[in-house]
Amino acid sequence: MVETIVIIGAGPAGRAAAAALPEARLVARPAETAWHAQPGTLWVEAAGGIEAVPFTRLLLCADEKLLLMALECRFAGGWPVVDERGETTCPGVFAAGRILGAATPEEAAAQAAIAAAALAGRALPGRIALPAARPATVQEARLDPTEMASLLEQPPGAERTRRVLAQAELRGPALASVILPSRPVGLAALAARASVRPPPRVPQQDRGTLS
Amino acid sequence: MSDGVDVIVVGGGLHGMSAALHLARRGRRVLVLEKDRVAAHASSYSAGGVRTLGRHMAEVPLAVESLEMWHRIAALVGDGCGFREVGHVKVAESAEEMAVLEARAAEMRRAGWTHEELLDRAELRQVVPAVSPHAVGALIARRNGFAKPYRTTQAFRRAAEAAGAQVRESAKVVGIERSGDRWTVRCADGSEHRAPVLVNTAGAWGARLARTLGEDIPLGFNALMMMLTARLPPFVTPVVGLTGRPMSFKQTDSGHVMIGGGHPGTADLDSGRITVDVERMAASARTALDLFPILRDTSIVHVWCGIEGVMPDEIPVIGLSAVHPGLVHAFGFSGHGFELGPFIGSIVAQLAADGKTNWPIAAFAPDRAVEHPSGGALLQPAG
Repeated sequence: MVETIVIIGAGPAGRAAAAALPEARLVARPAETAWHAQPGTLWVEAAGGIEAVPFTRLLLCADEKLLLMALECRFAGGWPVVDERGETTCPGVFAAGRILGAATPEEAAAQAAIAAAALAGRALPGRIALPAARPATVQEARLDPTEMASLLEQPPGAERTRRVLAQAELRGPALASVILPSRPVGLAALAARASVRPPPRVPQQDRGTLS
Repeated sequence: MSDGVDVIVVGGGLHGMSAALHLARRGRRVLVLEKDRVAAHASSYSAGGVRTLGRHMAEVPLAVESLEMWHRIAALVGDGCGFREVGHVKVAESAEEMAVLEARAAEMRRAGWTHEELLDRAELRQVVPAVSPHAVGALIARRNGFAKPYRTTQAFRRAAEAAGAQVRESAKVVGIERSGDRWTVRCADGSEHRAPVLVNTAGAWGARLARTLGEDIPLGFNALMMMLTARLPPFVTPVVGLTGRPMSFKQTDSGHVMIGGGHPGTADLDSGRITVDVERMAASARTALDLFPILRDTSIVHVWCGIEGVMPDEIPVIGLSAVHPGLVHAFGFSGHGFELGPFIGSIVAQLAADGKTNWPIAAFAPDRAVEHPSGGALLQPAG
């Protein structure tokens, strides 16, 4: 398989990562918006439409925690769980910068340099310190889909993320990945991707028993 | 070990809660066992359609009776469940599809049903002004509507508990045995529960329970996808479906437009994990945009899925087990069980308490010869 590294974000962390990994594909707003992620595929909306961007490894340098949720990366204390290289609980998926609590552009860039070095197989220029856990999530009632839509319509930010993580906890890990999209996606752009009507999908079959 | 119940219900979705409610109100001691949380899958992630329109002829009498219950749902469960009577419309996009609707209307009239009416092109535009110019007519059921699935299931739970039913969550059933006149149900946490009657409302997992007891029912499953757009000014009142393409389309009180109706993602029954299918999301978006060009500039703000059991003939399994006494099945609603929920619970209660029902359910027998979709149903939008 051809190695394809994708970096998301063009802030201080994203720029530092792109400088260290010149072969990587950079996806950054406003030209390109990553609105959903699945293992090996980043879904991007741009002026030209919806694109499925393949990746073998991903470095998330934008504060888009819902993309990590979509990939089923674990969270703890309100933060993605990462090791000292910035690798999340999903192998090959890294994070750096504000998404890990970096307080300054310099700290964000330093984290990105560490993650980029790990991706490139180079010696690490430092260690990423895990952010301090946030206070326990405030207990919330589970939202129905319309209420969830209202939440997801809010501008991305700490409060929106906190509430979405609380909803993910209520649903459990198997369903957290279907709290999507990370950002709104144009209906017409999505529709334009459907050039032919897909054949009806035969229901999935099951031969299981209780166990 | 709990021995003090008359009926154990396996599955805490809408149908399980409705069965528990009706049984408890008949004075039966009921225990509901739910492996996750109440309304974990289809019962909170459906589109909430309250629809009699276009149903399989065998479902029509049950759907009509259930619709009456929806119109007095607050009296039944103490909550309005967000039910709104807005009508359902099935749109024809061609003369050929209009002929299908005309044939359906004629069949319904012959059977004595009057709740489905044909709309010509002009009448359709009076009811759905924003519909695309290519739509040629429709079938309408004016007293249909929609409700909020999660709120509804929770309302049935509260009402069932108020009537005395017990509900246990995180109670995954891992074994069932029948000895003498009693079922023994074992849960993953080591607990055991015994009762003379077992009700299987386990949804997409219903065939697993049946198969464990030697009853092979050909249930498949789908992870039905739904999408919600950003809020828009009101432009459509009824729920809109299509005759030739899977789609269910409605605008909620909040202004969000819900687009669903049949395109599935993928699911894993063991883990409960669901994956959306973006290419099929695109197909749903295409269909919605074809029918409502007003959506051109909006965006999708939420997508979700729920796992639903699907029978090859697309009608549910409702009835007494063909193998064991004291076992009632009600699952496999094939993407359109929400509307039936309030009434099916009363049928299940009859079967569980009396061993029979006065309603026509032979078509849904667990041991029926299953064929591909028939029975005069129109293309059934999920939800």
